[in-house]
Amino acid sequence: MNMFSSCMITALVILTLPIIMSSTKLYKNKLYPYYVKTATSYAFMISMIPTMMFIYSGQETIISNWHWMTIQTMKLSMSFKLDYFSMIFVPVALFVTWSIMEFSMWYMHSDPYINRFFKYLLLFLITMMVLVTANNMFQLFIGWEGVGIMSFLLIGWWYGRTDANTAALQAVLYNRIGDVGFIMTMAWFLLNLNTWDLQQIFITTNDNFNLPLLGLLLAATGKSAQFGLHPWLPSAMEGPTPVSALLHSSTMVVAGVFLLIRFHPLMEHNQTIQTLTLCLGAITTLFTAICALTQNDIKKIVAFSTSSQLGLMMVTIGINQPYLAFLHICTHAFFKAMLFMCSGSIIHSLNDEQDIRKMGGLFKVLPFTTTSLIIGSLALTGMPFLTGFYSKDLIIESANTSNTNAWALLITLVATSLTAAYSTRIMFFALLGQPRFSPMILINENNPLLINSIKRLLIGSVFAGYIISHSITPTTIPQMTMPHYLKMTALAVTILGFILALELNLTTQGLKFNYPSNYFKFSSLLGYYPTIMHRLTPKTSLTISQKSAFMLLDSIWLENILPKSISYFQMKSSTLISNQKGLIKLYFLSFMLTMILSLLILNYHE
Amino acid sequence: MSMVYINIFLAFILSLMGMLVYRSHLMSSLLCLEGMMLSLFVMMSVTILNNHLTLASMMPIVLLVFAACEAALGLSLLVMVSNTYGTDYVQNLNLLQC
Repeated sequence: MNMFSSCMITALVILTLPIIMSSTKLYKNKLYPYYVKTATSYAFMISMIPTMMFIYSGQETIISNWHWMTIQTMKLSMSFKLDYFSMIFVPVALFVTWSIMEFSMWYMHSDPYINRFFKYLLLFLITMMVLVTANNMFQLFIGWEGVGIMSFLLIGWWYGRTDANTAALQAVLYNRIGDVGFIMTMAWFLLNLNTWDLQQIFITTNDNFNLPLLGLLLAATGKSAQFGLHPWLPSAMEGPTPVSALLHSSTMVVAGVFLLIRFHPLMEHNQTIQTLTLCLGAITTLFTAICALTQNDIKKIVAFSTSSQLGLMMVTIGINQPYLAFLHICTHAFFKAMLFMCSGSIIHSLNDEQDIRKMGGLFKVLPFTTTSLIIGSLALTGMPFLTGFYSKDLIIESANTSNTNAWALLITLVATSLTAAYSTRIMFFALLGQPRFSPMILINENNPLLINSIKRLLIGSVFAGYIISHSITPTTIPQMTMPHYLKMTALAVTILGFILALELNLTTQGLKFNYPSNYFKFSSLLGYYPTIMHRLTPKTSLTISQKSAFMLLDSIWLENILPKSISYFQMKSSTLISNQKGLIKLYFLSFMLTMILSLLILNYHE
Repeated sequence: MSMVYINIFLAFILSLMGMLVYRSHLMSSLLCLEGMMLSLFVMMSVTILNNHLTLASMMPIVLLVFAACEAALGLSLLVMVSNTYGTDYVQNLNLLQC
């Protein structure tokens, strides 16, 4: 009897302790953020024990705790599935969250409601843990909705700002559209397989799983900001930087991809859904990479970078490599959270300046932030033997050597080079050159909270790829032999992107743009997608409803058909056919004269 | 023809003349119309009662109903004209506007 389940439950319970304590005096304490951060670090360390047990012996566990209810033939209970995916994701998520909490102790320290902020972050983390360890779809849905709600509360943290409220509402609406797909899948499983448990779903055979997998794809599109339901992710940058680092880079937005990875036994036999996923992911990654090229807000560039990497994860699922996608989720969390934290450090140091056109020359002023930003960008673009290489390069290799859609593959390669391009853009505008900000500010990054948190993620960004990929159990066989030009594709494309972007950025220092071209406007306005969808669709539906309800029913049928039409018709016809002049006396007199004359004349008829 | 019939017939003719010949007020024409209806009613009732045409006894009632309807119609037209002009002078009816 080993300690697997005990340690895991302990770790999860430790996370909930500060929430339970929030009704006591502890919550009003100035040290509450420290308690939350320490609780998260303890939970991380305790959860490493079951993970190492899993890595050593491959032991998976399902903990079924509490029977909630039985609806006719379906049993709903609280059960945790601690398998490959959740065992590796939980320590990664806890590690990243630990660093982000330490960072937000520095970032938000002047906020009067910092205790509430930490409570919200912790609630988010708990619901995310519920999501990844769920064994049945009901518990997964609880976690799914929970992360959506916490995302809403955290994006609208500065609720006095109209843009923040709009962005939070936008996030909730787009996630809701995805939830429709999720509920449809749950209903299908309930009707056809009589269960919401993952085990029973995977062993039951059925002729086709098209409809529930489409529902899951829609749910992933909503939650992971794929093309079509993507505008909420860049708008979500209205929230504080720790929120962007935690939710919208590492944890919440991968929930959609995680859902598809969870259901990979159903997807691996369904070619249609795989092709749909592949094409959707390819479109997303290219479109968001194009949009990232011309943004001027540093957080928006990193948000579009997240969106592009999510598209890459969908591409990986589309070529039937769920384990690679999962590896990319874990490695991506490290460097993306670090990128967000570095941009948070820059923003705070420059006195809340987020526009990269007003930054510059930070290379000498913020050395540590510069280092971590450059390492994070290199890891993102897949520099060999940093973290991103172990997942991203493998993905590109598998895509190159698989029998798949060539167009999607080409688009993914273009997006990979664009990744290098916009990373160069961030580094060039924020770090290099002469300073473009006001010289009256004190720039100091020597806070241990900031340094330690970024340092932890820095070490993770450099080594975590190696450690994770050499510790996990081998699942699918990676492609061992391929022509050398295919092997070097990712590297060559990335280097091409770097060089091209560097040249173009250097030319902007000397030459002047005459007028923004059409391509620039397309990229800078996010492909016109939010402009069209947020204005045209509501206006159309409101116009249709006005025409049908008000015009058709009320005005026409109730008012116009009988009463007004009769009076109108009568008036028109009487004006048409009346040519009298109203000389009534004359008419009467002539009548009388005619009567008398007829009486007199016709008296002599005999 | 007996004296009664001639009397009532004369009343009818007189009202008819009154309706066809009027000078300024539309109201006088309507009043003479009522007079015509009245004389017709009396003549009809006397004829039916004298000749014992029992089955035709409902006709004076019907005549009265229709007379009432047309009187109402005439009065409404008068009121329409009077609303526009304030008086019911016939010279106002020279412009047929709807």
